[in-house]
Amino acid sequence: MGLELNKLSKQVNKMGTTVASRSAEIEARLPKARATLKKITNNDPELKKKIKRALSMHWTGAIPTSEPVHAVFPCPKHPKRANIAAADGSQIYPDRHGIAIYYLINTGSIIFRHGLDEAPICSSYPSLFYENHDLYPNEVLIPSSLVNARRDITELRELAQIAEKEVKTAPTLLMLDNGLLLYLGLQTAEHRQSEEILGEYLETLSAIESTNACIAGVIDRPRAANVLRLLRLYDMENDMFDTNVLRSLGDYSQLTDRMLFGTLQPGERSAIFVNASPQNLERYLPKGQKIVFYYVNAGTREQPVILRVEIPEWVANQPEQLSLTHAGVVEQARFGDGFPYVLMRSHELAVVSWTERGHLDEMIGSSLHRSGLSAVVSRKAQGKQWTNSAKRRYGK
Amino acid sequence: MSDVNSEEKTNSSIPIGRMLRSDTTGFTFGCLLPEPEVPLFGDFVKAPAQQGLTEIIGIIHNIVIEDDLFVRQLIAAPELPEAYIQDQRKNRQIPIEVSVLSVGYSSENNIIQGLPPQPPVTLDYIKRCSLSDVIDFTNVQDYLALILNSKETPVEELIGAALQRASKARPIEDRELFLLQAGKELARLLSDDLSKLNSILRRIQVNI
Repeated sequence: MGLELNKLSKQVNKMGTTVASRSAEIEARLPKARATLKKITNNDPELKKKIKRALSMHWTGAIPTSEPVHAVFPCPKHPKRANIAAADGSQIYPDRHGIAIYYLINTGSIIFRHGLDEAPICSSYPSLFYENHDLYPNEVLIPSSLVNARRDITELRELAQIAEKEVKTAPTLLMLDNGLLLYLGLQTAEHRQSEEILGEYLETLSAIESTNACIAGVIDRPRAANVLRLLRLYDMENDMFDTNVLRSLGDYSQLTDRMLFGTLQPGERSAIFVNASPQNLERYLPKGQKIVFYYVNAGTREQPVILRVEIPEWVANQPEQLSLTHAGVVEQARFGDGFPYVLMRSHELAVVSWTERGHLDEMIGSSLHRSGLSAVVSRKAQGKQWTNSAKRRYGK
Repeated sequence: MSDVNSEEKTNSSIPIGRMLRSDTTGFTFGCLLPEPEVPLFGDFVKAPAQQGLTEIIGIIHNIVIEDDLFVRQLIAAPELPEAYIQDQRKNRQIPIEVSVLSVGYSSENNIIQGLPPQPPVTLDYIKRCSLSDVIDFTNVQDYLALILNSKETPVEELIGAALQRASKARPIEDRELFLLQAGKELARLLSDDLSKLNSILRRIQVNI
């Protein structure tokens, strides 16, 4: 029958009122959170002691740096000339119901030469994976999480190549539409691949560092609560807490860091914090690639847009590079309605539409036919193609 | 004449777009950023049909530059730097849609003024007619009736622009006679609509 919207109208109305009242409840917790943030001082020995104990319990909060945690920093001046590059990737996952088992990664990139009145350089590179070792790394079909990880490393490698050339002409900022802590939601069976990919990712970050370009991972509408976890830790009366207490946000439940920093004025950024996640401290830190982050308002006074910007510590330690990430994100967001223009364009260059996917399947089908193989979708996929088309109902 | 020849060499052999959709009465093709000289309202263009057996000749009657949400968002941006404008114009593939009225076709070296037996198909290349193509096609004026009968084109402007193109394709000494003959054919076709006739004649007189 499909989705009968008329049967949902009551539920939708109820949902509207529920969401509104929940939102008001959550907002009411904000003043306390902001007041706590103001109370924290960086050299508080009690807090340091708590953080040390929490870190031993896999706490995923935010560790203050030398900047006061409640400080705000105005947007620095953007250099007259800078190269701003971004890369993004999209993928077609292996489909056992499709005409053949394969996967595809398409990487789009853009190099924007700020200060020159010329069109940016745009590229996209598709790669098709169909060999046994690509598809069955552990004798079972590659999971989507591993495809995602390979897509992420491809994006970073693309930026590393761009950096090598672009730094010769002007300060260069590389941007990714994601955080810099690679998410590897892999199963135990993929441990070896996970290690390889993470190793390659960290090596590529080091390669970027050696070019003297800077890199920033930009997250729109972030759900993270690292700084709120710091506030929760501060509120605890002593350091006798356990893992379960650490996991909850207590009085700040359902709040996010984005809400906490919602008072930033256009262009302003928050203080920098270290992401305390075990992945960062146990894997990135030993390789010299510790990730830190800040929040920035890339929107306007009327429509604030709080973005989370993740940078390696070596970027944060160089004032010019830190300024370029800050000013670069804000300047680019001026022309992307609060989100960096280059990230919107790199996504556009990478995305594979359903129509394009259909054309690729036709090409693959023809190639298989020429090789004497039949190329048909499964009966289930065929049935879906038939039934998912627009419904036509004749009479009653 | 050397100028005319060089123009022909430059513009006629290069495809200016690819077919998007078509029917018997006309077709629409898409192209990227338009060059200053191509395509123009009133230009004669040609498209292959019937797997190359025929070549349809048409006249451009509308050029539409589409927008999208991304472009709309940028319109509101203050002090938009040139690089963003160049990116949108040169790199983003937003096709410019060019609508063409079919007015005839060539088949086995014969030129027929009338609707073609089959429209061109999707993704076929569209080329601008060479000056000699335009001269050959417009030696007979039956296509004017097709334009006059079309419902969705700005008839008076289109006939004026097409006749100016056809006139300029000819050597200077032939242009006046060509326009005079076209005027006579229009007077015959529009004997019951003197205001429209007058409006078109004023448009082509400017160029005599």
